[in-house]
Amino acid sequence: MALPRLTGALRSFSNVTKQDDYSEESADLTNKRTKLQGEQLNSGLTWKKIVSFVDENSAKENKQSILEDLKTILQASKQIVGSENGQEAIESGAVFLFKTFHTKECVGHEETKAIKQMFGPFPSSSATEACEATYRIASHFTEDQLAGLLQMTEDKNDDRKLCFGKNIAFSFDMYDLDHFEELPVNGEMDEQKGISLDF
Amino acid sequence: MPALPLDELQFTEKDSLTGKMKTLPALHPEKKTERSFVLYKPPPKARGDRALLEEFWERAKFVADDLEWLLTLPHDKFWCQVIFDETLQKCLDSYLRHAPRKFDTVADLPPEVNDLQRRLHRNVFLTFLRMSTHKESKDHFITPSVFGEILYNNFLFDIPKILDLCVLFGKGNGPLLHKMIENIFTQQPSYFSDLDETVPTVLQVLSSILHTCGLQCEGASSTPQKLEERIRLTPGDIPLQELKDIVLYLCDTCITLWAFLDVFPLACQTFQKHDFCYRLAAFYELVVPELEAAIKKRQREDSSLLSDLWKRLSHSRKKMVEVFHMIINQLCLQPILESSCDNIQPYIEDFLQIFTSVLQERRFLRDYDELFPVADDVSLLQQASSTLDETRTAYILQGVDSAWEGVDRRKKTAHSLPL
Repeated sequence: MALPRLTGALRSFSNVTKQDDYSEESADLTNKRTKLQGEQLNSGLTWKKIVSFVDENSAKENKQSILEDLKTILQASKQIVGSENGQEAIESGAVFLFKTFHTKECVGHEETKAIKQMFGPFPSSSATEACEATYRIASHFTEDQLAGLLQMTEDKNDDRKLCFGKNIAFSFDMYDLDHFEELPVNGEMDEQKGISLDF
Repeated sequence: MPALPLDELQFTEKDSLTGKMKTLPALHPEKKTERSFVLYKPPPKARGDRALLEEFWERAKFVADDLEWLLTLPHDKFWCQVIFDETLQKCLDSYLRHAPRKFDTVADLPPEVNDLQRRLHRNVFLTFLRMSTHKESKDHFITPSVFGEILYNNFLFDIPKILDLCVLFGKGNGPLLHKMIENIFTQQPSYFSDLDETVPTVLQVLSSILHTCGLQCEGASSTPQKLEERIRLTPGDIPLQELKDIVLYLCDTCITLWAFLDVFPLACQTFQKHDFCYRLAAFYELVVPELEAAIKKRQREDSSLLSDLWKRLSHSRKKMVEVFHMIINQLCLQPILESSCDNIQPYIEDFLQIFTSVLQERRFLRDYDELFPVADDVSLLQQASSTLDETRTAYILQGVDSAWEGVDRRKKTAHSLPL
């Protein structure tokens, strides 16, 4: 339940605010996830580019195992994204998993949160399989090679713009309750008046 | 060539549908990006609820990231987003409504969640800072009068939002927040009218607290009481949970008002137009002793809750007394100190009238006098004016002395406010 606030009452009972309807906002989180997935689809790095990178840069004797691992990632993505979302969404999910796990040996808290934020609840075993497969693939390449591949993911429009207020000194200090004397023991105030210890 | 204000700028670009060149004003809905800001929801009350904590984290991260994106936008894109993206406006409003205040009782959050909340808190402030600035740089600015219209007509700021900003950011960022709010009120004087319209609602809030406590005040009985309506005699009869709600509401109300007047003292004039000092003192006189008695009476119930309520009530008392003093200081004392001798008479008259009107509020007067001795202010008046009506000042000082009758002024009791 919302805490009772003066500004809550002012929003409800005065005529100086916009009376917004928040009832349609219950699905905002789901919509946001869907939107992010769509953006992921249009990002620079695609599954095809990963496959062709692997094909061009891996030694012949490793190719078979790497292709198996790529299949594992794709399969895991299918489990996480949901097969009903189509091949494009599954490949996009696989790219996301590859990007998330390429430097990780195991699925940590941050990665779990990132996947959940993108796709909602997901089977943890699929994430583990994707993580292990990605790690195995990454071990066949140098850091520079992987960095070159992942640079394709950078937003084309992101030219490291300056953030407004970057140099403004901001304080996190907030108003708090002052220290006061403790609640007096029952009746203390009234009884003290009539009692004297001076016999 | 001097740069044009954003509201006069136009851009010519190729229409993606027709391929033809078209000219649009810089501030146009088509220039908004579809970003879908989500609403902010407060952190869960219990740390153990992992699902709620995950949802909180997810929402807070979306909002923090999206605001970071917004703050990196160029001046024209930023304003298109702010004006035309309703999801952004709702998102910011939801933060102001639900962001935890430090005086709220909140569960300890994991460090990474705390860090995220802090990042979000800063981004919200910077967004409002950018929104309250009509001149961002030499080349990026909006015509001041148009800026005022944009803020007001799109409800980018309103009185409840400004009050929320003060309570959330006023402590550590007071000077900057003062400049922001001063600029908003200067460029758009309609906010003073809105404030004037809001004060009666603030007074209604005080009346509703009295009503819930079963206490009536002047004007509160303008509507006939329903026959079936239960009449409570004292707050002592109120269930503990309800008493808690009343004290939390009172505490939030007092801190919010205090924070607003502290950051923006110019608002004191508007409050006093509604006889705010008299009404506040009368409210204090009725509600404080009753709530104190109601809390003390329940010693056998949840002691930690009662202790917390006592602390909040004490804090509310202090803030009410300070609000009263802020208004007196802003409307009477400061002008007397700053004016030449010829112009001070109206301020002295206001001072005398306000204090004469509250002389019957004995408990309030005692608590006020303890924090801000009335004799000191009267002495200031005596020094400032040779024609001061000594009969009236003596009457006020006598009233203050009378309020202390039977109570030892020097004795520090649990009723005392810390000096």
